[in-house]
Amino acid sequence: MNQIRNFCIIAHVDHGKSTLADRLLEATGTVTVREMQAQLLDSMDIEREKGVTIKASAVRMLYKANDGQTYEMNLIDTPGHVDFGYEVSRALAACEGALLVVDASQGIEAQTLANLYLALDANLHIIPVINKIDLPHAQPDVVAKEIADLLGDDPDSVLRISAKEGIGIQDVLERIVKEVPAPKGDPDAPLQALIFDSHYDAYKGVVAYARLFNGRLTMKTRLRLAATGATFEPIEIGTFTPRMTITGELAAGEVGYIATGFKSVRECRVGDTLLDHNRPAEPLHGYKPAKPMVFAGIYPTVTEDYPALRDALEKLQLNDASLSFVPETSTALGFGFRVGFLGMFHMEIVKERLEREYDMDIVVTAPSVEYEAVLSNGEVIKVDRPSDMPSGDRLVEMREPWMKIQIFTPKEYVGPIMDLVTKRRGETLGMEYLDEQRLVMTYRLPLSEMIVDFYDRLKSVTRGYASLDYSFDSYRAGDLVKMDVLINGDPLDSMALITHRDEAQHKGIALTRKLKEVIPRQMFEVPIQAAIGSKIIARTTVSAMRKDVLAKCYGGDITRKRKLLEKQKEGKKRMKMLGSVEIPQEAFMAMLKLEE
Amino acid sequence: MLPLGLYLHIPFCRSRCSYCDFNTYVGMENLHESYVRALCCEIRAAGQSPHLVHTGAGVPPRAATIFFGGGTPSILQPAQLGEAIHACRETFDLPDDAEITVECNPGTIDLAYLRALQAEGVNRLSFGAQSADPGELRMLGREHGFVDVIAAVKAARTAGFDNVSFDLIFGLPHQSLDSWRRTLNAALPLQPDHISLYALTVEHGTPLHDWVRRGEVPYPDPDAAADMYDLAEEMLGQAGYVHYEISNWCRPGRECAHNLIYWRNEPYLGFGPGAHSSSIRRRWWNIRRPADYIARIERSASVEMGSEDIDERTSRGETMMMGLRLLQEGVSYARFAQRHGVDIREVFGEQLRAGQAKGLLELLPDRARLTPRGRFLSNQVMMSFV
Repeated sequence: MNQIRNFCIIAHVDHGKSTLADRLLEATGTVTVREMQAQLLDSMDIEREKGVTIKASAVRMLYKANDGQTYEMNLIDTPGHVDFGYEVSRALAACEGALLVVDASQGIEAQTLANLYLALDANLHIIPVINKIDLPHAQPDVVAKEIADLLGDDPDSVLRISAKEGIGIQDVLERIVKEVPAPKGDPDAPLQALIFDSHYDAYKGVVAYARLFNGRLTMKTRLRLAATGATFEPIEIGTFTPRMTITGELAAGEVGYIATGFKSVRECRVGDTLLDHNRPAEPLHGYKPAKPMVFAGIYPTVTEDYPALRDALEKLQLNDASLSFVPETSTALGFGFRVGFLGMFHMEIVKERLEREYDMDIVVTAPSVEYEAVLSNGEVIKVDRPSDMPSGDRLVEMREPWMKIQIFTPKEYVGPIMDLVTKRRGETLGMEYLDEQRLVMTYRLPLSEMIVDFYDRLKSVTRGYASLDYSFDSYRAGDLVKMDVLINGDPLDSMALITHRDEAQHKGIALTRKLKEVIPRQMFEVPIQAAIGSKIIARTTVSAMRKDVLAKCYGGDITRKRKLLEKQKEGKKRMKMLGSVEIPQEAFMAMLKLEE
Repeated sequence: MLPLGLYLHIPFCRSRCSYCDFNTYVGMENLHESYVRALCCEIRAAGQSPHLVHTGAGVPPRAATIFFGGGTPSILQPAQLGEAIHACRETFDLPDDAEITVECNPGTIDLAYLRALQAEGVNRLSFGAQSADPGELRMLGREHGFVDVIAAVKAARTAGFDNVSFDLIFGLPHQSLDSWRRTLNAALPLQPDHISLYALTVEHGTPLHDWVRRGEVPYPDPDAAADMYDLAEEMLGQAGYVHYEISNWCRPGRECAHNLIYWRNEPYLGFGPGAHSSSIRRRWWNIRRPADYIARIERSASVEMGSEDIDERTSRGETMMMGLRLLQEGVSYARFAQRHGVDIREVFGEQLRAGQAKGLLELLPDRARLTPRGRFLSNQVMMSFV
């Protein structure tokens, strides 16, 4: 066990985590340069395009150190986005040490700091690394000081490397060997293994990624999951090198995988503890079932695709326990699903995977958070679909989730950021300088204000320089009202929204105006109204279509004329019907595209 | 086989109009002569076209009309147009009184020219008048003024033409209803036999499209265009014109026989670069560049660029799409049955009823046609049939 080192890499998007991981795999001979696909750990296209890692992996490398000994180095990859904070915390809990990788020209970003705090909370040994020292804009001295100030360390202890150029890789490995503590634990004690990730395999079922803290695990061990209570016998036990390699057993301190044979990741959740069914120990601390924070309706563009959409969501869920969905129906959209996500980023990923991997043609409604409604009988119900909000005397109080957010920014953007956050009901919690140029601003902000265009606005007012981290704070009561959208007098349920009373009027006007832009003119005049209860707070009208004609047929080109009509017909087919009004798909996302 | 419409494309202009996306070219005067030769060659070869139902050895296919379109056909000399007419008469069985139309640019013709055309057998003239407003004509890139239109019509009458049409365009950027009224008021006293009124379409690849995209001129307001259409309907109706097709009005009996062939989805042959032909079951079209066209004809190569086989289902849709453009005649149930071998109410019953319910279609005992409301919203009906 003394020869084991379990570590992870904490880095901001684009600061070079994947490149460094590649170099470590090469330097240890785990993967030869020739075998190396660029960025092996990021196996999904979407992740690669967004420059982030969604699924964590764990790779075992063997490293012959300068002291002549060979070490088993387990690199545990961490998800790179703020929506996956819990998954990050579980991956960190599986390690004893972490490389804190910071871009030499960018400095520390919000997520990096948030993850660093998680790592410090988990008592990990931190090895600071400045990457990209070869770039012309590199300021390694400034960044080293920033890191040293943060860690209470000596700036000289910060490693300076270029993963891209292969500079300093050996030093990184040596520092890991010397500084990251070997795991502690008793291989003879009852089994305690932390599941920090999983994936679904068509032949082996759910493959759990685990870190053993105590005990050992063999093919004969009957296993139990502490939280879900599910029991099983392993189908396969092994390590990632980085391909799955059978070892048949794992012991305290080690990291590896266990094929469970489960048909869904729901039975085998990240953060849960694997126990020996016949000799159960206490579960490890820190398990939380995944809790969706953001909800949206997902509907097939054409009704016949409903079963295909359900299949696709089920398949996605095999690999993503944090994805939840239940059937729902909408007046205009018909049959679809209410889908819960960890956050907006998670929602984006799911949407893209449905479209790209499953080739689904879908309509996604504007997202909502999960509200709590306190009823007159004292009951508290969850409302994640605005049209379900109770009304009248039945409703005593509405509560909404608030987040604590941290924004890292160069100081010149403080004004615009304050402006942005205040407009969205943010409350200032603090403001602290990191150095002379940069500071961190802390706020409390309703999640509902964050899920609509907040991140993009933040990026735009800070020209991309600010970074953001957030975590759940609390549910708080608010003066919240339901705003209905009526089209031609009919309420469009999937467009209803819950908003603060003070903003209802403004939002109603902006939304009806936007809808007027996106709803095409029909054969008749179509009023668009926003209403709170029976009170109309905003109204516009899409006037009736008067011209839709092909004027001239040039030189007998009937084919072209027919094709124009066919195209128009095709577009019409994609429209959703509310009564006799045709509503284009983008209308359902209009809420996300309002002018500030 | 029904008699053919013959379309002869003249792909040359003196200048390019800002809204035009037709297959026409400026500055190719050097090609005129060889082009006319090539055109005649293509016409003569069509007598043996495998796409036409053969009438039997030595019996030429029947044709009903000739239409010189462009481009600017009047850029050619009357004798050159005459050569092409001659080629048609040699190749096809064309009645002596067949409608022969030439599109003319009012700015470039005179009495002598028109007399010569008359002598070549041309019996119908179509003038691209477009507008009576000098500013609008400038924006459209027209080089003539409305005085030229007046002079041209007068000359046409003097030369003995009793079938004169002209085109006007409405729904222009900046155009007001008053300005449109002035144009109509200027045009009607000329007492044309036929008037085509086209709502402007901003086509891709035209200078006008660029101007609109860059925000230099406003996108034409569709409501204003609808008002103009209503005004035209009213004024032309009062002046005794029959609104017989979505964009066309005529004195009773002066329908354009050539265009009726398209609208009735009957066969036609197009000659020249970019021209389209239809044998009902198949449609094909020629390569677009005049120089390539001439070169291919000269080495006896095919000038066909593409084709489409029209299956029965598509053909039915096209009969509706084109036939409903005829506002009085509409689509006759009997003609549809004769043509497609099925009862229209059987294949399109649902669409017909839906169009009627929307107030866009009128179902008469013997035919279906657009209602007045459906005329300027015709795509809404027609798309249900394609």
